[in-house]
Amino acid sequence: MDNILEVKNLKVSFRTTAGTLKAVRDISLDLKRGKTLAIVGESGSGKSVTAKAILGILAGNTIIEGGEILYDGKDLLKISEEDFHNIRGDKISMIFQDPLSSLDPIVKIGRQITEAMLLKSSTNRRVAKKEFNARLAALKKNMYAAVGKEHTGEVDEQLKTFKRFCIESNHLENSYNLAHSNATDLHGLSDNFLFLAEKNQHIDVRKNLSDFRKRLGKIDDRFLTKGYKDRMNAISEELSRAAAGYNKKENKTEASVEAVKKLEELTKELIESKRPDFFSIGYYKLFDQSANLDLPTEELNNKAQAFIEERFLKKFGDSEKEAVKYSFERALKEKKDVIEKLKTAREFFSTDFTKPEAKKTAKALYAEIDESIDELEFIKDSRAYTFESALDNAINRYFYYLKRNPKEEARFARQSAKRERLIARGRTVTWKVVPKVVYPKEELSGNIIQIIDRMSEHYENQIASSGEIDFDKRTNDLTNHFKKTASGIVYRVTKGMAKEKAIKLMDEVGIHEPRLRYNQYPFEFSGGMRQRIVIAIALAANPDILICDEPTTALDVTIQSQILELINKLKAERGLSIIFITHDLGVVANMADDIAVMYAGKIVEYGSADEIFYDPRHPYTWALLSSMPDLDTKEKLDAIPGTPPNMIYPPEGDAFAARNKYAMKIDFEEHPPFFRVTDTHYAATWLLHPDAPKVEIPKAITDRIRRMTERLEGGEIK
Amino acid sequence: MTDNKGEVLLRVENLCQYFGPTKAVDDVSFNIHKGEVFGLVGESGCGKTTTGRSIIKIYNITSGNIYFKGQRICAGVRSYREAIKEARKEMKTCKDENRLEELKKIIADNNAEIKKARFDHKYSDREYAKRLACETRADYEEKIKNASSQEEKNKLAKAMKTDLRVAKKTKLITKIQMIFQDPIASLDPRMTVREIISEGLAIRGIKDKEYIDNKVFEMLELVGLVREHAGRYPHEFSGGQRQRIGIARAIIMEPELLVADEPISALDVSIQAQVINLLNELREQLGLTILFIAHDLSVVKYFSDRIGVMYYGNMVELAETEELFAHPMHPYTRSLLSAIPLPDPRSEKKRTRIIYNPLAAHDYSTDKPTMREILPGHFVRCNDAEEAKYKEEFGI
Repeated sequence: MDNILEVKNLKVSFRTTAGTLKAVRDISLDLKRGKTLAIVGESGSGKSVTAKAILGILAGNTIIEGGEILYDGKDLLKISEEDFHNIRGDKISMIFQDPLSSLDPIVKIGRQITEAMLLKSSTNRRVAKKEFNARLAALKKNMYAAVGKEHTGEVDEQLKTFKRFCIESNHLENSYNLAHSNATDLHGLSDNFLFLAEKNQHIDVRKNLSDFRKRLGKIDDRFLTKGYKDRMNAISEELSRAAAGYNKKENKTEASVEAVKKLEELTKELIESKRPDFFSIGYYKLFDQSANLDLPTEELNNKAQAFIEERFLKKFGDSEKEAVKYSFERALKEKKDVIEKLKTAREFFSTDFTKPEAKKTAKALYAEIDESIDELEFIKDSRAYTFESALDNAINRYFYYLKRNPKEEARFARQSAKRERLIARGRTVTWKVVPKVVYPKEELSGNIIQIIDRMSEHYENQIASSGEIDFDKRTNDLTNHFKKTASGIVYRVTKGMAKEKAIKLMDEVGIHEPRLRYNQYPFEFSGGMRQRIVIAIALAANPDILICDEPTTALDVTIQSQILELINKLKAERGLSIIFITHDLGVVANMADDIAVMYAGKIVEYGSADEIFYDPRHPYTWALLSSMPDLDTKEKLDAIPGTPPNMIYPPEGDAFAARNKYAMKIDFEEHPPFFRVTDTHYAATWLLHPDAPKVEIPKAITDRIRRMTERLEGGEIK
Repeated sequence: MTDNKGEVLLRVENLCQYFGPTKAVDDVSFNIHKGEVFGLVGESGCGKTTTGRSIIKIYNITSGNIYFKGQRICAGVRSYREAIKEARKEMKTCKDENRLEELKKIIADNNAEIKKARFDHKYSDREYAKRLACETRADYEEKIKNASSQEEKNKLAKAMKTDLRVAKKTKLITKIQMIFQDPIASLDPRMTVREIISEGLAIRGIKDKEYIDNKVFEMLELVGLVREHAGRYPHEFSGGQRQRIGIARAIIMEPELLVADEPISALDVSIQAQVINLLNELREQLGLTILFIAHDLSVVKYFSDRIGVMYYGNMVELAETEELFAHPMHPYTRSLLSAIPLPDPRSEKKRTRIIYNPLAAHDYSTDKPTMREILPGHFVRCNDAEEAKYKEEFGI
């Protein structure tokens, strides 16, 4: 499956005065592209810590004990702060839980929403340019190799042309998009005007009409307004006449309504008009001297497409495909070599080794792996890219703990001895000995070997599946990637655009009179309103991954479902992948594709939404499901007794055992492994062990599931 | 609006609460019967918290009356003032002698009303304390008369003295207590749990340390904490335990009405159920009446007997819980009910939210809406046309 983000064996703890608090204890998650993963659990279960680890914003007293977070060919636990600047907010964005502390109290709302947009505008362009050039260079290299030395001149010419018209088409497209979005806004406003007029509501007619005229003037693009110019001018004049003829006392709105009606029709037509194919038109404009851009859109599209196909794409596509093929085959050959090298390295790390030796071996390995990466692959191979940092980290850890372990043992022995001495003297001792953190040597070298094994396994899988590669699709993906980055290069956000976008966002998240509130300070908003601002800020950056940390907990139902709908809409439109953290199972049912239930720093159940809700297996999931009333609940609620355990002294065995009425003896002794229920559904409870006694799911849940299926079958839900 | 079910504990009549030009609560009326849980729902900023706060006199209400146990505790004067203003305006142009007399009478009447309202607003506690003291004295005098020995008489006299002091200091308003939303911000971090819980008693004038301690221990055990917790500070407790302390602080005053302003929204899932169960138990044990303000409709449905739905300062629908969920009439209620998320993925995928736009839904340009009883005990804010429509829908 196509995972955009992978968390592997993440362990996080916090250094406190009382000892190390184990917040996250070995969890693994996969976030699929374009899907929503929900993390459910009560506070202190480590769900927010996981999210913060992904964003690299953990507190200063954090120790990351191990694991990897793979994203876009990087391990987020190991990259520098500099690199994080390009990811945080842009690629991965977060909606925070607490609206009070996540807004700056002395900066106006409008500036806070637009700040990131403006700040990132130039950085984004720079990053896109870098990416575009790097890919182009890789393509060039492989094209050279693929077509042979004698054709290099031709390749140079092709790539130069490609770059030039890519940029040009995006300039054209940008201007078109701007005009188009202006038209959409105007359509919405005029629609609203007509609605209010029909309902005899009070409208400031003059102000509205002059605003419409101004906005109509902003719809200015040679492709969009083609053939509409005269009509637009006529409507503009009519609007101005209506405004002049309007008398406030008599409040006769017929003339203005008539004009706005025409405006509404016009904008509707503009919005629905056919979209030009800018990729082709850019080339057509640049290289056909006799190009006539004022043709009707359809005709222009056909002409441009035929032109580019004949003159450029055919040839370029072929050589591009050649290059992709060549690059892939080269990488495949290298990969076969690398597997051998990995085998010898594995042997080396299985025995005793010294630091310089280890470093040397590792370095040689990195060079080999670098060679074996297919540069033209559209989705970066995270495992290969992060191999270096992962292995480096494991080796450093190995030597660090070799030194550190004896010291830790000594400290523990010293403190225990002291405690016993005091007790022997009859004193009451209130403090506990901080448990020792010791990693055995086998585990440490095991880690290193595990990384190498995973790498060779990964490559073996790739080699095994190499026959199924569809090169046409790959080439297509690559071209599309170029188009996308090229649009990133030319997309420039001005202050005015940022403001318009911010106001639109504020409107979308349900803030009334956004224009007025744009210039207010955070303290002038209520808690729910502030939360909406935070959501607007997170959405402004157009991220790949959106992390929502209890985004709607402070909001009421109508707004909650409005915002969830908004997030779902964005997910569908922009292919957003979402990590959704919450404790409200109703919200999860609406949002999630997959669900991970967390308790005391571990995942206790993992499965698709249907599996978790209709076939829950872990007693904690049962408890969560039955502790909240739904609309049909009448009986007493099954509250979970007690509170979560103190994670400085994590309990032996299953952490939930103490609050679990189904706990068995083994639950207090040994932590249950994951038992497989289906391929996508796992639960860590001894109840799934073949020797375990049969336990009935609580009645509240079976009843609810029965009710739900009945309702579904009865077709009661419209 | 009249209901015929049990004794009315709290009556809110035409409550208006304006903050400058903002009409936070505009003409809201409802009754709360003894022993019931009355749920108040609506989106944030619709005035439900303001209503709750007006009831415990945190704000001075703009106009309307609030009666608690038959005694008027809050009264606003704006409506009287406006009537006077109108009358004065008319007087300037009026020529008719009879009408002038009438107007003068109106002004005088309204002035009297204002005086009365001011008096009730300020001295309702004193009046109630007077009444209570009289009752206590009569009660004890009866007992002393019937006492057999001198020793017993002395003892009773001493007890009477204490009780009278308590009665004189009793404020009617302390019979209404509030539980706050945020369990962290609503407890003073520098006071121990004993001090927090017993503060109300101290203000009431009780100095007997043993009595206070016993009362605090009793309350702690009632809310599911232990005696040892009395000496600790709030930061040593988890969120759920803190909310229990907040509840103990409220019920130690032996209130008859508890205003619970979103008591569980800030709590964890597993703890929420604990607190709801606790409130349910207390309600049975102490016979509490609760005004439950919340936005989680599943919880409100589970917990309340009757529900009032508010929208932008107005009460738009009021009915018994089952009735409201079975036959929602007002378009806003329908939109609210359609937004409730359920723990059921398949039906969630199909759920469509009904969007409420007051301009599109109603036409109030000529006929203004009022609260009307459509079905027995089911009130909806509507005008004539809408009333007919609702009635037709339900076949009346």
